[in-house]
Amino acid sequence: MINVGIAGFGQSHFQTTRTDVTFPELVKEGADLALADADISIGKVDAVVYPLAPDALIGVSNGERWVIDALGATGKPFMRVNNGGATGMSAVLTAWTHIASGLFDVVLVAGADRVSESGSAQSVLNKMWDVGYERTVPLNTITMLALSAQRYMHLYNSDETDMALVTVKNRKHASLNPYAHLRTLITVEEVLATRTLAWPIKLGDACPASTGAAGVVLVSEKYAKKNGLKPAWIRGIGQNTETFWMGNRVGEKALGDHADADALGYAFDIAYAQAGITDPVNQVHVAEVYAPFSSVELHVIEAARLAEKGRSPRDLRAGKFALGSEGPVVNPSGGTLCTNPIAVTGTIRVGEAANQVLGRAGAHQVPNARVAIASAIGGDHQFYSTMVLCSDLEEI
Amino acid sequence: MSADSRTDTRKLGIAVIAVASTIVAKETSASLEEMIFRTTKKALDGIGLTAKDIDGVVLAGNDQIDGRVISIMPSAGPAGGVNHDTTMIASSGDHALIYGYLRIVAKQNKRVMVVGWAKPSESVDPDRVELMSAEPYLLRPIGMNETVAAALQASRLLGDEIPKIDHAQILAWPLTRKDLPARGDSVFVAILAEEGSFTAGTELAWVIDAGWSTSSYELGARDLANLESLEIAYNQIILRTPYASAENWDAVEIGAPSEYAVTAVAKTLTFGADIAVNASGPLREQLTSPFVLGLSRMMRAIEAVKKIGADKKNVVAAGIGFNGFAGQGAAVMIFGGNKEGKND
Amino acid sequence: MTTNEKTAAEVKNPSNRFFEQTWDLQYKHALGSTVSRFLDGLAEGKIWGRRTTDGRVLVPARSYDDITHEKTGEWVEVANTGTIEMFTIVYEAFKGLPTPPYALAYVMLEGADTALVGYVQGIDLHDRASAIAALQIGTRVDVRFAEKPAGTAADYWFELGATPKQ
Repeated sequence: MINVGIAGFGQSHFQTTRTDVTFPELVKEGADLALADADISIGKVDAVVYPLAPDALIGVSNGERWVIDALGATGKPFMRVNNGGATGMSAVLTAWTHIASGLFDVVLVAGADRVSESGSAQSVLNKMWDVGYERTVPLNTITMLALSAQRYMHLYNSDETDMALVTVKNRKHASLNPYAHLRTLITVEEVLATRTLAWPIKLGDACPASTGAAGVVLVSEKYAKKNGLKPAWIRGIGQNTETFWMGNRVGEKALGDHADADALGYAFDIAYAQAGITDPVNQVHVAEVYAPFSSVELHVIEAARLAEKGRSPRDLRAGKFALGSEGPVVNPSGGTLCTNPIAVTGTIRVGEAANQVLGRAGAHQVPNARVAIASAIGGDHQFYSTMVLCSDLEEI
Repeated sequence: MSADSRTDTRKLGIAVIAVASTIVAKETSASLEEMIFRTTKKALDGIGLTAKDIDGVVLAGNDQIDGRVISIMPSAGPAGGVNHDTTMIASSGDHALIYGYLRIVAKQNKRVMVVGWAKPSESVDPDRVELMSAEPYLLRPIGMNETVAAALQASRLLGDEIPKIDHAQILAWPLTRKDLPARGDSVFVAILAEEGSFTAGTELAWVIDAGWSTSSYELGARDLANLESLEIAYNQIILRTPYASAENWDAVEIGAPSEYAVTAVAKTLTFGADIAVNASGPLREQLTSPFVLGLSRMMRAIEAVKKIGADKKNVVAAGIGFNGFAGQGAAVMIFGGNKEGKND
Repeated sequence: MTTNEKTAAEVKNPSNRFFEQTWDLQYKHALGSTVSRFLDGLAEGKIWGRRTTDGRVLVPARSYDDITHEKTGEWVEVANTGTIEMFTIVYEAFKGLPTPPYALAYVMLEGADTALVGYVQGIDLHDRASAIAALQIGTRVDVRFAEKPAGTAADYWFELGATPKQ
């Protein structure tokens, strides 16, 4: 079993637009930052895996080909991953496979997004639904998650205030993270007063459209030892897939309800089993979990087995999951809710989790963090990636 | 790649245990998802397996060809990906096959189903789709697409010898329709498995090794006559697996931007005297799309192993694919009739 | 941790140019015979489902099921009435999407095991609180069909139910 670690993580200061760079230049920024942080030169990189979600958002089909020079990937094995919103982490898992195969020692995963540059993001995302049946209704990412939020409230007797608690917590965290996009503090009342996008999702419950770059460098244990590196070790991984049809996720014969993220839970179980984690609430110190809307974080916390189903609002109200509290801290970086450059949002979760277990997270560091989890979601809550990171290779 | 990380792939025993494909000029009576479903079922039914017996699914599709943004969404289900670890390698079909292979080399999965497709008939104007892969500042205004890029490459490959071409047949000088791959709707499925997870003797071909590389996007930054990605991809294999060198190949199936490029491959690698090059047919006779052209030829290489292997146990066949304008990237996969490969 | 040290001046350079482009790709998607039959059914005022090998009736009708990864079989006409399983009301305008407000719901029609998506018409959405109350999970709705069907999923929608539960 070949051990794989995260040796470096780089990210931009995320903002709405970047008028100073072309898309390839922005990608280069992510690659350069990751390599600099790892203190590994591009010459030492054996292969590159590139995360890019819909081509339509950057306006070039097979846009990965356009940025090969920017990545420094010429002459190297190169492939691109597209798992929707999970892409940034699925690409890291693809890179994990490269190293675990024994064929490569150093793999770069770096990319960028500029979501706001496509003025029609939600119209583009309307085209991800079924061609025959679902294109005549304006489904998009906001409506699909509004439906899920509504069912969660109904099933678990929860309300919009519970969702707002997530935003309050994450904005507080983001205010300590100089790379985050939305960093202003906010109160529950202020969240509830923001305009409704698709009920019950309000502007205050939603992620921004972010522009920026990010990357990580993965290394084999052999390379780390040979070069005196202390990476964040990947101790467990898990991926799973749910049905595409939201209509399949309701009713008595549903495999899993659209209110929940059961398929994510199974992916976490796989990663936990590999890592030897049997009691997540007590063994996990940090969770960097993809949740583009406040409501999503509620059921992701539960899927990560950090709270019982339907109980994360109660725990949030009691002050759990926030920096400074006892127990696992969820999204100390502010999470996807505060920063969402779609193609690399999953990569940022990995990098932030890695920084936490290495004690490098600065003002949003969780004290004594040794074990972190990271997760990402793609499609209409369809594709799930999960990881467990640890500062060492000893038993957890 | 460091010399230390060489892995002797001979010991691993990874085989292709099933293949299936659906190829139609223009499929008007079935949706893309139905085509994917039928082809995966065909592959599974053929060896008595169901999706439950697979532990990893790797997909390859292009959003713009098919008109589905985030194409993994509608395709994962028909490809058997629900309740599975499903990943889309969206750079090309041959990358997906290679990644499926890596999954088993890494011992991450035991049985992987790889599904790659393109349904250009969904597009009213498939050439316009190719135009969208041209960056918008310089290349798109000049109308760059696969045909034009292949023509530029062919013009470099001609050198001083100008062949006799019927000018009425020229699509983009010097290329005529007969020099180019043909367009059609296609779905390809290959199931890879680790030795021990299938009945010995039922394998179609063993996977000996794989290499892949890419080069600059800037056409002006490379000599298109120089197949540098192919050379690098091939050298990755030779460094690890010397006996997989081209002079030992019995057959090679090449999915290149034009027949000129196919000839250039033969000049770049040193083939043996008796090698069969594109025995399954020239580019113009096989309906597919650039996105899965390399994968389609890797499927043919697997078939070649089965066919030639009936008489010759140590058969070795290579599948070569290119991706991006004028072969920006290249991928090579070596298949053999014998897990141990040729004796040195 | 390395930082991205762009100066404010660099980022706001007024001579930075922009390039505008629109993707105008047209598609003619083959729907296959199952989807086609469902859409034909709308013109006849019928909603069709198909049964999976494990007994579930999928609505809208599909020729295969993604959970069992098997073909579906029997065609089942489901009732034109059912209950709301989830809904939302969109108030925000998105480029390229319809002018808000509009309501979408997933409805479990009687006889079906999966819910069908559609617009819910006939409710005053400007009174938000009462619109949300009117659309609560469990509310009965009826299917309505277009008088001049266009052969797309826009040929049906939902309205608050007149039919009591059987």
